[in-house]
Amino acid sequence: MDSASPDSTSTESPAQPTGETAAFEPPRRGFFVKFLAAFLGMIVGAVPFVTGLLFFLDPLIRRGKATQDGAMNNPDGVEKDEDGFVNLKVAVDALPADGTPQAVKVHDDKVDAWNKFLNVEVGTVWLLRNEQGGVTAFNTVCPHLGCSVDYRQSNDDFYCPCHQSAFDLKGSKLNQIPPRSMDQLKVKVKDGKNVWLKFQNFRGATTEKIPT
Amino acid sequence: MNKLLNWLDDRTGIRELMHEALFERIPGGARWRYVWGSTLVFTFSIQVITGLFLWTAYSPSAQTAWESVYYIQDVMYMGNIVRGIHHYSSSIMVVLMAIHLIQVIIDGAYKAPREINYWLGLILMQIVLALSLTGYLLPWDQKGYYATQVTTKIMGATPIVGAQIQELVQGGPAYGHHTLTRFFAMHAGVLPGLLMLFLGLHIYVFRRHGITTPDPDRAPETTFWPDQVLKDAVACLGVLGVILALAVFKGAELSGPANPSEAYSAARPEWYFLFLFRFLRFEAIEHIGLAFGAIYVPGALMGIITLMPIIAWWKGGHKFNVAFMWLIAIGVGVLTGLAMYEDDKDVGHQASIAEANRDAERVRELAKRPSKIPIEGAGSLLRDDPFTQGPRIFAKYCASCHRYNGHNGRGRMVMEQLKEQENGKEVSRAVASIPTGADLGNFGGEGWWKLLLLNYENHVGGFTKIEDSEMATWSKDSRKAMQDPKNADDVKAIYEYLASLSARPDSEYNKKLVEKGRKIATGEEFITAGKFASCTDCHGTLGETFEATGEGFGYPDIADYGSKPWLTAFINDPGTDQFYGEDNNKMPAFKGKISDRELDLLVRWMTGDYYETEVEDYESKVKVLEEALKARNGP
Ligand code: FES
Repeated sequence: MDSASPDSTSTESPAQPTGETAAFEPPRRGFFVKFLAAFLGMIVGAVPFVTGLLFFLDPLIRRGKATQDGAMNNPDGVEKDEDGFVNLKVAVDALPADGTPQAVKVHDDKVDAWNKFLNVEVGTVWLLRNEQGGVTAFNTVCPHLGCSVDYRQSNDDFYCPCHQSAFDLKGSKLNQIPPRSMDQLKVKVKDGKNVWLKFQNFRGATTEKIPT
Repeated sequence: MNKLLNWLDDRTGIRELMHEALFERIPGGARWRYVWGSTLVFTFSIQVITGLFLWTAYSPSAQTAWESVYYIQDVMYMGNIVRGIHHYSSSIMVVLMAIHLIQVIIDGAYKAPREINYWLGLILMQIVLALSLTGYLLPWDQKGYYATQVTTKIMGATPIVGAQIQELVQGGPAYGHHTLTRFFAMHAGVLPGLLMLFLGLHIYVFRRHGITTPDPDRAPETTFWPDQVLKDAVACLGVLGVILALAVFKGAELSGPANPSEAYSAARPEWYFLFLFRFLRFEAIEHIGLAFGAIYVPGALMGIITLMPIIAWWKGGHKFNVAFMWLIAIGVGVLTGLAMYEDDKDVGHQASIAEANRDAERVRELAKRPSKIPIEGAGSLLRDDPFTQGPRIFAKYCASCHRYNGHNGRGRMVMEQLKEQENGKEVSRAVASIPTGADLGNFGGEGWWKLLLLNYENHVGGFTKIEDSEMATWSKDSRKAMQDPKNADDVKAIYEYLASLSARPDSEYNKKLVEKGRKIATGEEFITAGKFASCTDCHGTLGETFEATGEGFGYPDIADYGSKPWLTAFINDPGTDQFYGEDNNKMPAFKGKISDRELDLLVRWMTGDYYETEVEDYESKVKVLEEALKARNGP
């Protein structure tokens, strides 16, 4: 590039009136040299930065792929069927016959980057037994802003102490504070006695029920 | 745009700053020889950028450092590239630094009034080397772990306060969590901070004195922007190209997770420290002591380099400096070359590297399983893996008599010292040791049975013949019938059946053949031409399920031969009547000598019961062993 001779003053572009050259003795160089210098300078700076940025975007780029870990039948892990229902190890008979909600901890195998934690607590659900021997389950996470919904014995309803959301025992909202009713979860009763549950969390503060 | 600039300029004086930065005078015109400083700044920026991104995924603790680096390298998007760039930039930076320094010395750019800046440069060099050293440990892999141990031990050899320094650096009496947190804080915080500070000073002082030009009248004077910037940018592009090529095509290494109980003899420092490593290995230096070789000598050399601006005051001082610099450069070059050459020729070193690579590949393979890495760290993956531990246990307990494809299980030859009389003097030379037990490389497989049935006397005793044995007699008597082409199908079936007894999970057996073989071996059917005594004549339990009773008649029970239960019982006590019986047995009973855990790992390895692998096994040394034994007997 030595041929972009230092003494070629003739090609000095008039379109360079900006302060950086105007106020001082301007270096009289061809536009091409300037352009090339700036361009290459940008390239060499951008390459490490862009690769790094793509690396940083990894969670978005690999979203979905990362969770497909396949159900490994590890004896220390939770019991899970093909549809993703976990065995809560709770018998229907053990739930109050009058339909009083019962809080039950949910365990699952949790993937965290390079680790897989077996059989750890991932959430809590309210289980209610109905007259037909079926079971209804609600995630205890409040659909408002994510506090934990309690069962209020005095009113026989669900109540969230954070901002006073209230729900009836069918999970329907009783006031205008929560954006939607409580999040019901799918339940299977196997062999007529064992409760299996598909555990999911949902985004807070939306009228729609969107799984996270 | 102009308005905005004016507004900004009124408040910050940015124009003057930009002018100051861009319009530095370069008498004699822009030149390629001025690019080195800029490429150094460039590589440092690469390190800062990629380093910050790597920081977002790195986790410094003894149970997560290797694991997070593995995750960066093998799982995360572009992780291998980012880590590769960071890794190779550090090497390139050292090269560029050497070029920069050599140029400064040759041009006498350290002379008055630039002494201070020269010293600032030397400080920068130390910081860069410290960065490289601390970074080498962070992946917490075998290589970095053991190489860095050497460095901290050298610190421990410092007179008077050595022990304290070492403990402070390590964050305790031994390596652990705090070694990592400390090294990381240095590597990502303190050292880059210092580097920026000194780099700022370096550039400031440089600008104050201007560039050192050997011939200012070469071309008309120009300014940094855009002529020199263009040349710098092209040079940086070249540097970036080299780094990217290395990152993409070679990739940064990640050896197995650090394991304090598994010495790694192939540990080497980064290549640019190899000369020091080799220097310390000179016997004479070792003799004088670590502090001398690792602290006083390098210290003295650095001292002279530091004093160069002052030495140059005397007549001929500059010439001395240049000569001294070349002397060091040649010394470093020769030592580096020597270290590489010796390592290349060193069979033991190469075997260690092969094993380290095998472990590294294997652990990454295991970590990719759906069960991922347990909380206690990736080290446990290798600790509980038969494919990894089996060879080591074999080498420890079995290789004094047996071989595994000619080697000791871990890819190394088994050697012994042979004492000889030579010209009246006793000399000893290392020779391949003669195996006295069978080569277990294909234990229980078809190849194994072929040798056993056809060539018993030469097989079971390794390279010592066993002739006075009933089985050897059977082998001799039946050889003709076994090799008769008319019986080929029958014999094939027999091998298939016998091999199927081990029920290796990594092999498949042809059911029809197995059934046919079973009938012949147990005497239900006969071979097509000629005959031989059926196996069940002596090994009555063949075809049944193996049970470790310890009872029998000294004819080895071969029910489920080569299966896990069979092999476990056999290794525990081969001398019971269920196997060889006391009179015929030469193998020691291992019950009580080997732990249950080790036995389990060994047996699972030998029977192929482990997570399927694509890692290449050690190269067979059968031919090498045969050659070596021939050579041993001498010409
Ligand atoms: S979080 Fe439950 S009411 Fe606001």
